[in-house]
Amino acid sequence: MAHNFRTDLAIDWCPGCGDFGILTALTQALSESGTDPRNVVLASGIGCSGKTPHYVNVAGIHTLHGRAIPFAVGIKLANPNLKVLVTSGDGDMLGIGAGHFVAEGRRNVGLTVMIYDNQVYGLTKGQASPTMTLGMQTKSLSKPNIFGSINPITLALSAGYTFVARGFSFDTKQLKDIIKRAMVHEGSSVIDILQPCPTYNNVNTMEVFRKKVYKLEDDKDWDPVITNSNEEQLMEKYQQAYKKGMEWDDRIPTGIFFENRTVPSFPKRISEHSKSYLENPPALQVVSDEHGKSIVDPMKTFADRIV
Amino acid sequence: MSKIDISIVIGGPQGGGIDTSSNMITRAFSYSGFPVISVREFHSNIKGRHSYVHLRVKDEKPKSFRYPVDVLVALDPDTIFEHFEDIGKGSKIIYDTEFETSDLSQARMIMRDTAQRIKNELESKKQPLNIKGVLNLMKENGGIPIGIPFSKVVTSVVSEGPATRYFNTLGASVTLSILGVDKDSTKSAIKDIFGNKEKVIEPNLKVVDSSYDYCETNGFKIRDLGKMPAKKVMLLTGNDGAAIGKIIGGLRFQTYYPITPASDESTILEEHDSIKWLEEESQNLKRGGVTVIQTEDEISAITMACGAALTGTRSSTATSGPGFSLMAEGISFAGMDEIPVVITMYQRGGPSTGLPTRNQQSDLLFALNTGHGEFPRIVMSSGDVEECIYDSIKALNYAQRYQLPVIHLIDKTLANTTEVVDSIDPDLVPIIGRVSPEKGSEIKRYSLNTENGISAMGTFGNNIFWMTGDEHDELGHVTEDSMMRDRQMEKRFRKIETARKEIPVSEMAQIIGDEKADITLVTWGSQKSLVIDILDDLSREGIRAKLLYLRMFQPFPSEFVSEVLKKSRKVISIESNMTSQAATVIRTNTGIEIKNNIVKYNGRHMTEDELLSAVKKIIEGKSEREVLRNGA
Repeated sequence: MAHNFRTDLAIDWCPGCGDFGILTALTQALSESGTDPRNVVLASGIGCSGKTPHYVNVAGIHTLHGRAIPFAVGIKLANPNLKVLVTSGDGDMLGIGAGHFVAEGRRNVGLTVMIYDNQVYGLTKGQASPTMTLGMQTKSLSKPNIFGSINPITLALSAGYTFVARGFSFDTKQLKDIIKRAMVHEGSSVIDILQPCPTYNNVNTMEVFRKKVYKLEDDKDWDPVITNSNEEQLMEKYQQAYKKGMEWDDRIPTGIFFENRTVPSFPKRISEHSKSYLENPPALQVVSDEHGKSIVDPMKTFADRIV
Repeated sequence: MSKIDISIVIGGPQGGGIDTSSNMITRAFSYSGFPVISVREFHSNIKGRHSYVHLRVKDEKPKSFRYPVDVLVALDPDTIFEHFEDIGKGSKIIYDTEFETSDLSQARMIMRDTAQRIKNELESKKQPLNIKGVLNLMKENGGIPIGIPFSKVVTSVVSEGPATRYFNTLGASVTLSILGVDKDSTKSAIKDIFGNKEKVIEPNLKVVDSSYDYCETNGFKIRDLGKMPAKKVMLLTGNDGAAIGKIIGGLRFQTYYPITPASDESTILEEHDSIKWLEEESQNLKRGGVTVIQTEDEISAITMACGAALTGTRSSTATSGPGFSLMAEGISFAGMDEIPVVITMYQRGGPSTGLPTRNQQSDLLFALNTGHGEFPRIVMSSGDVEECIYDSIKALNYAQRYQLPVIHLIDKTLANTTEVVDSIDPDLVPIIGRVSPEKGSEIKRYSLNTENGISAMGTFGNNIFWMTGDEHDELGHVTEDSMMRDRQMEKRFRKIETARKEIPVSEMAQIIGDEKADITLVTWGSQKSLVIDILDDLSREGIRAKLLYLRMFQPFPSEFVSEVLKKSRKVISIESNMTSQAATVIRTNTGIEIKNNIVKYNGRHMTEDELLSAVKKIIEGKSEREVLRNGA
């Protein structure tokens, strides 16, 4: 019998919330990817996005605000055989969790990071999030936003993420395809997901986004993939990704901006000096015999301390 | 009583090879069969400021340090200035004759306040504000200056490179020669330290010869120390001990963010990540090594270790006060979500950045209370290097057994103390695993069907279950149901009662010394061995006393401690902090107030001389509270 990737829990997102589309795309992607559900872990932070793991029938961990990435990295590095996905919000990932977000670009551990991007902190009643543009005023703000905004696409590129994409929660077909491709990507991927908050973001609504979005893949010449470490190709792909990443006001591109297959993942980098790491990662090692005797020889391991 | 008892301070500029000198001295004495203990003191600085190693040699394992020293080895003028108070009758001061022209005003790397104190002292004794003035002062206190032309001794035998390159070897060799350590032992030490770098070993051996000749010719040698049967031993710091214990105890994932004095443990693990196995026991088992990850901050360090722990990997992190502060939310999560994770917490001087490279025991109450909300945890502490080894195995065991955060406290003095360890026996602490569910099953991760509070722990990759920092139901989904909340809180706290029942009291607190003595000294951490020496000192003066040594603060052995203290006439707490935190823990748990306290919070290790006089003062009723102030 096919595994049901949805749990039977009642979902408490607001009616009309973009999160429903993400949940649909995610569970379809998991189902179509054919992955053993026991080998998938879904990690989230805090906020509306943070509830996602409870609705998905794979192992899930609803962590601390902003900390989904380091939890996920620990899981992945202890057992690189697992597929580890992260669902997070814009405030969660680019505000309180920004340090971890940037650090993960350097590591390229192999996470699939989804950012539910609605420009507001919904669960705490609509404060401006790091992706809200300067001067924008949504209904719960007493004054226009006096912060500039972070661009998730160009930040992800600068941080070193090797797969950068944008989806729209009301286009579940495209989003599902992006998630599936991101899951196959060996390094870490970021998917910025336009996810209108029907309760607190009355400026960028589903209707507004629907009019502005277009798909990168509709241009037949669009090719974001880097397959060899040719300097020229790298430069060209980065430049086009940044250029598309800067588009926002009138038209908003969705799809895959950048995919670099040449950067070794962190587990591969570890295995270069720890030869047995991929075969016997920390989680699969046995540390004692059946009597509880440690299998380590401390005197030999620390022979350099013997006088 | 020990026939041999030698105290040495060797000092010089940070980055100037002090560690190498001290290593030579320690190893040379070891080759001669004499055990050494040493501790490093240094500034938060890469190059230039005063750093020193305090050593003690005995014919039986030394346990503590004392002033005045028998030999002060100065590799720079600052060392002479800085240690002006550490000289007594017969102390030898070994220094480069070139220092004799140095002025205090030129010693720019001495902290301004220290320089002012030295100046005041010299002025009050009508001495010039230079090295000669300090040496005069030292002579007044019975010190014997031994000026040696460092450059000449080196260049007479070695022509390649600057002579200064060999000053650390010279300082060590002169010390060893004066103290009568045979030259072969010194040469063996040199060979150890420089490994197979023949080109480096050769000139250094020449400097050993030249230094020994110089001391011989000038009649500096005090005596022939002779040789005791030397057996193979390990020279280990507290940092080493924790790393070794963790590897034995099955640690396979460690995270850290660089911080003094904790990150040495992680770099030691990195250097030894290719574990050597017991072939017979492990041949059919999956073996790999330790994965050590440097993280972007300590929030990441604790949460990443938690993530790894959830795959079934024995995981830990190591940090110090400032990093531990950042870990608070992660530790609270580990408590709520019942994650087996070990936090090795190296205490240093706080608050804030405080004294980043100095000793303190001021984070005990913080360790007991870190993290918002109420959750069970184990807080334990080690007092010597061997305890660092075995306690690290136990910490990993407790984390697995009770599925909670274990905070293992080690203080800076212990972390940077090098002790002789005869051998390591992993069989002393067998590995205890966790209660696991059937493989592949969808489980109730937080099953309430448990008397001792311990539910079978599913792992990612084997089971499907959920976790959340919110209060949760048995499946791990968010709940705000009032009854489920109560039951989950009570289940979590039952674990600490289970731990209290299962962990032997001797692992929590011990009586050392004369059990019937009605004077009780109470301490924890690195003062353990020092107080044992004090018990001997007191008994030589006809004073009977015992030590109540505390090792675990949560769960706390309230009944045991209460019994001991009730039967004591005089109780004195001895701690390296300002507010006697362990005494506070005792009062909280037993209602007994310890009225006599000895404290030290200047960041330097406690020494035998200052502690003995403080204890005696209190026993004689001349004082209730003593503040110790030794140490440059």
